[in-house]
Amino acid sequence: MNSSTALVHVHELTKTFGATRAVRSVSLSFTEGEIIGLVGENGAGKSTLAKMIAGVYTADSGRIEFAGSEVSFRSPFEALRAGVAMMAQEIMLVPDATVIENVFLGSTPRRGIAPNKSKMRSDFKELLELTKFELDPKAVVSRLRLADQQKVEILRSLSRNAKLIIMDEPSASLTADEVARLHATIRELARRGVTILLISHFLEEVLELTTTTIVMRDGEVVKAGPTKDETIDSLVSGMVGRSLETRYFDNDSAATQQVRFSVEGLTNSALHDISFEIHQGEILGLAGLIGAGRTEIARAIFGADALDSGTVTLEGKKLSVTSPRDAIKQGIYMIPENRKEEGLILEASISENMMLSTLKRYRKAGSLSTRKLGKRAVELAGEVDLRYSKITQSALSLSGGNQQKILFGRAVEVAPKVLIVDEPTRGVDIAAKRAIHETLLNLAKSGMSILFISSEIEEVLGVCDRVLVIHQGKVQVQFTAPFNQKQVVAAFFGQTSGVKHD
Amino acid sequence: MIEKLRSYGIVGVFGLLFVVLAISSPSFLSWQNAANILDQSSILFIMATVLTLCIIAGIFDLSVAATATASAIMTVNAINAFGMVIGIIVGLGFGGVLGLLNGLGIVGTNVNSFIGTLATSFAFRGLGLILCSGGLVSITNKDTAVAMRSAFEGKFLGIKGAVYIALIFSAIVGIFLSRTIWGRNVYAVGGNPQAAYLAGIRTNRILISCYVLSGIGAGIAGVIYVGRYGSGATNAYSDTIAFTAIAAPVVGGVSVFGGSGAIWRGILGILTFALIGNGLNLLGVDTTYQLTALGLLIFAAVAADQVFRRSRG
Repeated sequence: MNSSTALVHVHELTKTFGATRAVRSVSLSFTEGEIIGLVGENGAGKSTLAKMIAGVYTADSGRIEFAGSEVSFRSPFEALRAGVAMMAQEIMLVPDATVIENVFLGSTPRRGIAPNKSKMRSDFKELLELTKFELDPKAVVSRLRLADQQKVEILRSLSRNAKLIIMDEPSASLTADEVARLHATIRELARRGVTILLISHFLEEVLELTTTTIVMRDGEVVKAGPTKDETIDSLVSGMVGRSLETRYFDNDSAATQQVRFSVEGLTNSALHDISFEIHQGEILGLAGLIGAGRTEIARAIFGADALDSGTVTLEGKKLSVTSPRDAIKQGIYMIPENRKEEGLILEASISENMMLSTLKRYRKAGSLSTRKLGKRAVELAGEVDLRYSKITQSALSLSGGNQQKILFGRAVEVAPKVLIVDEPTRGVDIAAKRAIHETLLNLAKSGMSILFISSEIEEVLGVCDRVLVIHQGKVQVQFTAPFNQKQVVAAFFGQTSGVKHD
Repeated sequence: MIEKLRSYGIVGVFGLLFVVLAISSPSFLSWQNAANILDQSSILFIMATVLTLCIIAGIFDLSVAATATASAIMTVNAINAFGMVIGIIVGLGFGGVLGLLNGLGIVGTNVNSFIGTLATSFAFRGLGLILCSGGLVSITNKDTAVAMRSAFEGKFLGIKGAVYIALIFSAIVGIFLSRTIWGRNVYAVGGNPQAAYLAGIRTNRILISCYVLSGIGAGIAGVIYVGRYGSGATNAYSDTIAFTAIAAPVVGGVSVFGGSGAIWRGILGILTFALIGNGLNLLGVDTTYQLTALGLLIFAAVAADQVFRRSRG
């Protein structure tokens, strides 16, 4: 019943978060029984687009037509009632409830006001027969391994009798065998007339499974067409788009030949045998998809996460780092990913935030000298190009970019030998971004070794001397400037053919 | 192991307390003493029931005592105006309406429930004050007062009517919570509100229903007060009773993080408090020590909850 009836029409859908236009005027249509692959880099707008169709987000503008009539879902409840089910990327389960309760959460078969347990059991059995998954319906979800939790999410999205099922990275933590079963299930559903929108970072999966492929970049659809016309190469080209100059600042690398810092065989639950070194004055980039393990590497080095094995060596000396406090004492500092949650004390002043790690230096007869503190803060503010009106104003009163600069000011003040910077430009405006890049280059020039993590490929390639691509907790490949952006992005997806390993 | 201890440790503590008291105080096991304990606990059974419900749903309702107080006053006014039956219905309904106001206000504005209901508890006490124009209202008709008293204070098998009402209410809420779809959705919302929302549960409605039930429970407490004293007063129920009712489910093994627990645990918590008070009294222990023991017990329960949560990661 592979009819060509249009099921979904999306007209000029737009969604903005703060200063970021996540989805810009996207128009698409899906037919019944179609399997559509949606691909793109981190932040391309895939999940946002899907969430608007599934009623999780409301579009700022644009229209959605579903099954012939215009709809505007205000909640997942309304979308489900109309026949749209979505399996979110983040696993969203009720931890203390059982597998079967989670599968039928929100659409429990009823007998009066009570759940119809025998129907639940028979429906659950049918779902297992359809998918060939193995799951104990009575197991408590919080005790399941990740792959089994993902299966619960998949089963839930299948249990809704939806006309459109959106799956955001359904195979991310499944084994090869389980992925094969998922693919067979998706094909079977499509045969029955269900439309599947599959968001995936696994390009082979998309090429093998889907009938149509949509490529998104910067919130826009760059191409949409039959999957049979695509190759991995053509998909990556679509995702990468325009190529920037490889370095923002002409050839002013400060990297020396001297190895300052190295890690060897870092391994824990998220990382497998990570080894690399950073030279004095060098900026080393960690690139890869969200969840590839970049932040986990940073946290392990900084002593925030435990290591099962591996060594960290600074200036020829093996370090034993078991807490961030240890790391700071030994000369490693980190500017964390979430400036508001992990970095700043928002209500405190600029000067206190900058001197948070070094307040001891500003004691005078046992009490803090606000005058000394303020004077040093003004110096630091100048170094990082902070825009403020009074040094005593709260961090809360500044823009995101300037808040980030406070953290750089703190890093300058602490003056570590190794600085780890995780996603410093997320959600900041272009001017602040430029200033932050400049600060990074200045810090490198002063001799600091910098480990730079960012999901924005252009800035990683623009600032770094070398880049490691992390894929599924391992170092996939290393690139040295000048970079070929397409090769780097292909490596994000585990594609390293044609790349020389250096 | 820690989980088992967390779940059933309190049953052991309760059993141990029971056995120790039974051995050391001959009067403890008497029917009279048991009836006394139940009589004194009836109001707390009701309040602990609704607060157990709220905590499972991931919210707090600090306003139960204030709601119960305002309901008591409203009940007296309504009885004086429309007679006993309608008066009782109005009293219960008034509690439910105050609960609905809590729900709409707090869920609608996304205010923290702890602070939100703290605020409304002041407002509801003020409302009670307005409704009785300043102090105390009494049932004017003597016969009605007697009828109320016999309904709620009259004894059946040596136990007061209020105790039966409290236990029936707890049982109904308990059964609804464990057996209906609504009940399972309460657990889901308390366990992971975002997951519940994405799964298509109307989480706002679930939360509001919990506030309303909490208000109705408080309304029942208000009506029982009127039955007992034939009047309603601005000091009918102090907020201490609300705090005790929050502590009870925690001691009974309900996680303060929401999403797990059961109504019987709230009841067990109240019974444990009652045993400590009653038993130590029978043994002639100073009240000062009782309070300290109670405080340490509550702290131990919360600490166990936290440790268990950490051990699970």
